[in-house]
Amino acid sequence: MPSPVPLKALIDQLRQASSSEALVLATRALASSGDPGAAPVLVEVLGYNNPGAAVAAVDGLVALGAEAVDPLLRLDPDNYGARAWAVRALAGIGDVRGLELLIDALGSDVAASVRRAAAKGLGNLRLDPLEPPIRLAVQQRCLNALLAAGSDGEWVVRYAVAVALESLARQLEPASVAWQRLEECLVALCEAADDNPPVVQLRARVALDRLDAQ
Amino acid sequence: MTARPTAAPADHRAGEPISESEAIARLRQNADPSQQYYAAWWLGRMRSQHPEAVPLLRDALRQRRGRDPGAGIEENAVARNAARALGKLAPAATDAIPDLLAVLGDPDDGLREAAARALGDLRAESALKPICQLLASGPNQAGASRPDSPRLMEPCEALLEALGDIGIADPAVLAVVEPFIDHARPLIRSAAARALLQLTGEPRWGDLLVSLLNHHQLQVRRAALMDLGAAGWRPALESIRRTPAENSLKLIALRGLVEQGCGAPAEDALLACMDELL
Repeated sequence: MPSPVPLKALIDQLRQASSSEALVLATRALASSGDPGAAPVLVEVLGYNNPGAAVAAVDGLVALGAEAVDPLLRLDPDNYGARAWAVRALAGIGDVRGLELLIDALGSDVAASVRRAAAKGLGNLRLDPLEPPIRLAVQQRCLNALLAAGSDGEWVVRYAVAVALESLARQLEPASVAWQRLEECLVALCEAADDNPPVVQLRARVALDRLDAQ
Repeated sequence: MTARPTAAPADHRAGEPISESEAIARLRQNADPSQQYYAAWWLGRMRSQHPEAVPLLRDALRQRRGRDPGAGIEENAVARNAARALGKLAPAATDAIPDLLAVLGDPDDGLREAAARALGDLRAESALKPICQLLASGPNQAGASRPDSPRLMEPCEALLEALGDIGIADPAVLAVVEPFIDHARPLIRSAAARALLQLTGEPRWGDLLVSLLNHHQLQVRRAALMDLGAAGWRPALESIRRTPAENSLKLIALRGLVEQGCGAPAEDALLACMDELL
């Protein structure tokens, strides 16, 4: 539903916010406008170093979906804080244009919270609209990135890998080599080890059981 | 439980990774305490199983030095890090329990705090009595604020948590912990409720922790999340989902509900909530 307040008024309100709380409220209002014109401003908010406002901006960007992808990809790559939030937004949107940023974040971001969001995002890309050869190539890249992250040092990232592999598997040909490599990774995540906590083992086991039952 | 100081290395040569034998060598020398400080942290962080790790950490625990502000090193920094590392090396560090018990009487309360946590990690039953003695004077004495710092007379949070971790529901232990439920500071109330929940499993202590998830201070909500996770209190699932705090902490709390808890809600519901928060 279009907002009764014009976009310009919402943006002015955000730019004039004089306190952290006011910024959060103004961001929420802009995020719920559902207006694609809000996307560049919401992306700007990701760089304000205000977690409450950034959470609201990410929600708004995810709700905008494909309309938010371009402004997100134009983000200054040197603004680390903003980029971490952008990874979360792109992971939630699931648009294939976010592929490179998600793969890069999963493989090299210093923050486990960003790597875990990137992993989940790689399992959630919407690939149906793609031509079959391109779809296969994208699936392959998602799979390779997730398999590499299966040995991430942080449990929460490996947990996210198990979740992402489960959703990626649903799009793969069951008898394929890709499926077999995916299954191997889940089996490894099920194994008890000093640095592999029970919750990761359990999540990987649940993924394998659900895929078996499919 | 508050987020513990990570005791990050003061000097780690710009993040250059070191080997286990290098860490052992740096801890063994005593010309440069900042190298020992980093080495002690490293051995704990990496869960070293080197046969010399525990004996060297026990030696380091006896090392006393004044503050060295120039090097950014706090008082007894090496000993504090050694205590933390011994806790992380549980159960292999059981031999260090007598040394840690001795440190519970140290005049440096930061060192007493690190020792208490380590004894909790080691599930040291022999620590029950001395810890209870430190807390016995109750919230108005052991738990009184110091006139000159934001700290309490005793490191109550660490001491209470250790009693919960050691896990012996002796009536004498419960009698020492219960008065701290009424402490003026919400973080201490949270630590006491966590210990009582771990020791008795009584829902009233879980309910108290859940009510702290509505506290207006983020720091208190974070502590309650960690404490609910440590106690594995599954009825808190919905409140954990809704409380305004970082997803990273909610995920740690939910991991605790899965691994430490039992009963309803079942694991499927816990995992579904974790999946959403990634």
